Amino acid sequence: MADFEIKDLRASVEGKEILKGVTLAINKGEVHAVMGPNGSGKSTLSHTLMGHPGYTVDGGEVIFKGQNVLALEPDERARLGMFLALQYPVVVPGISMTNFLRTALNAKRGYDGKDKSKQVTPKEFRSLLKSELEVLHMDDSFLPRYINDGFSGGEKKRAEILQMAILKPEIAILDETDSGLDIDSIKFVADAVNRMRGPDLGVLIITHYTRILQFIKPDFVHVLVDGKFVLSGGPEIADRLEKTGYSEWAEADEPAVLKPEEVA
Amino acid sequence: MGFTLQGVEEIASLHGEPDWLLERRRNAFDVFERLPMPSRIDEEWRRTDVSGLDMAKFSEFEHRNGAGPAEALEGVAGTVTMRGSEIEAVRLDPELAGAGVVLEPISVAAKTHPELLETLLFTQVRAERDRFAALHAAFFADGTFLYVPDGVVIDKPIVGQVFSAEGGTAVLPHTLIVAGRGSRFNYLDEYLSPADEAAGYKSGSAELFLGEAASVGYVALQKWGRNAWHLADQRARLDKDASLRLFNVTLGARFSKTRVEASLQGQGAEAELKAIYFASGEQFFDFHTLQDHQVGNTRSDLLFKGALQDVARTVYAGLIRIEKGAARSDAYQANRNLVLSDHAKATSIPMLEIDNNDVRCTHGATVGPVDPQHLFYLRSRGIPETTAKRMIVQGFFGDVLERIPFEHARRLIETELEARLG
Repeated sequence: MADFEIKDLRASVEGKEILKGVTLAINKGEVHAVMGPNGSGKSTLSHTLMGHPGYTVDGGEVIFKGQNVLALEPDERARLGMFLALQYPVVVPGISMTNFLRTALNAKRGYDGKDKSKQVTPKEFRSLLKSELEVLHMDDSFLPRYINDGFSGGEKKRAEILQMAILKPEIAILDETDSGLDIDSIKFVADAVNRMRGPDLGVLIITHYTRILQFIKPDFVHVLVDGKFVLSGGPEIADRLEKTGYSEWAEADEPAVLKPEEVA
Repeated sequence: MGFTLQGVEEIASLHGEPDWLLERRRNAFDVFERLPMPSRIDEEWRRTDVSGLDMAKFSEFEHRNGAGPAEALEGVAGTVTMRGSEIEAVRLDPELAGAGVVLEPISVAAKTHPELLETLLFTQVRAERDRFAALHAAFFADGTFLYVPDGVVIDKPIVGQVFSAEGGTAVLPHTLIVAGRGSRFNYLDEYLSPADEAAGYKSGSAELFLGEAASVGYVALQKWGRNAWHLADQRARLDKDASLRLFNVTLGARFSKTRVEASLQGQGAEAELKAIYFASGEQFFDFHTLQDHQVGNTRSDLLFKGALQDVARTVYAGLIRIEKGAARSDAYQANRNLVLSDHAKATSIPMLEIDNNDVRCTHGATVGPVDPQHLFYLRSRGIPETTAKRMIVQGFFGDVLERIPFEHARRLIETELEARLG
């Protein structure tokens, strides 16, 4: 039994069937990439795994630590050790990044406002933040700002990675983390993820393009088309997609590499 | 007593009020007798139902006995404490008294400073406005008079606290603030009674007069018990280059109707009018606001933010009025409502009345639930739903809350938000 098992997952959005039976086993220490053309169900997969209320589970199960996480609330899944880096991190006015990070960390540790012994102390929090920021080569200027408010695309993705570094999940889902990023930001994100890679972390990278996989080498690649995996294998699949795109499966012949002008 | 002419005379005699004030009370009483109860035919009361209010039931005044104890405030320059309808204590930093600052009960100031009170009292909050304003002017219990002379700057806030605990009575405090030219200070009115206090009738009106280039922060924090009827006016007159920051915080009462009005009478005057309100249970809040630009080169900036839950209802109606000669005025008005339950309802009615083309006016209103994307984002990081909602509501109020110039008041609001959001 793998550490994180998706079994025959089926899901729909507003009555439209999107995921038509996805099965995937992820062990800690592994990096899996799910690649697929537009509309194949990539975002539905990531959001359904994390329990976004806009997605309806129609069948299947996701077993993590002996529980079917599909029956859990999003915050319970997170506290169990799951993390989703969003494609479009949300701006939340009025809540500072510091407050957000501290509250999330406290929640992870089981602090519910009562048992002070579980609460992260200001000193511990400061030193944790400081060391993670150093590792990520980030400065602390965005900490007093509201969540993602006025952040550039790159800053938002860095902030997602910082959250991941602080919360230390065991299963991390990176949803199109590379989209809209310049090459420096992609390298930054990839470096950070590579540093976190290890026996305690399983990673699921969801991406349309092969580019990020040049920097984060996956152990396994799965091709998602029309809500189902059509091909699974090793990193060589990414190389194959690089050449042929999704033409084997998709009606629209979508390439899996960016056009040169999009790379800039 | 009772809401009778005899009642008017009793109050005046109890305070030993001068004739002009008794006369003013009598005139207000005439208006009270003459005016009918507002009904839903009146535009201002179309969504505001006072048919369940039987004022006669609350015609006794609350006295000092039984009222809750005042917690001692720190970091203030002066305090006026009222328990029920009676003044309990007045305290002012002696240095400020030496500089000519006057902080007195209105009943005392009517005798010591008639030149100011006779000219100003009830000239902004007028009895003729409606039956409730008339009742307040005829029977107001007492209240704060604050005068800050020209050029005097007060760093620490001055606080008026009205405590009530009895219910079944009328508590009608009044505040009159006169800011001399170039003076600067912050003043807070707090209206407090236990949440479970029996129904009663409460007002809590304030008149502010800002002299040339005066800069005044005014906060009215209403946290009466959850059965109270509260009807109040807060109105400021601003002379040339005066600057007002007014904050209305409405948390209490079963029924609360407040008018917040700024009359910009001098060039260069600017008024910031902000509010935080949180309606729970069966609370009903009504706000009517007026940004009255009477002359040119004046600015007003209004932001009323409210959250509603359970079956609460709120009505906001705000008017920006730019008078004919008021060229190059700049007015902003926004009402934002966060609706936390399917059964709560917020109504927002922005209005403009502009008689000059050379102005800038912006207004907007929003009514909506907590953004599910915000909630999901916080929860996806492990934050439980209740905590996430509380953070979002606190964040929603944050930009107004952080501008309230007194930590004691900010804490009181935060505590109340936390208590209500679980």
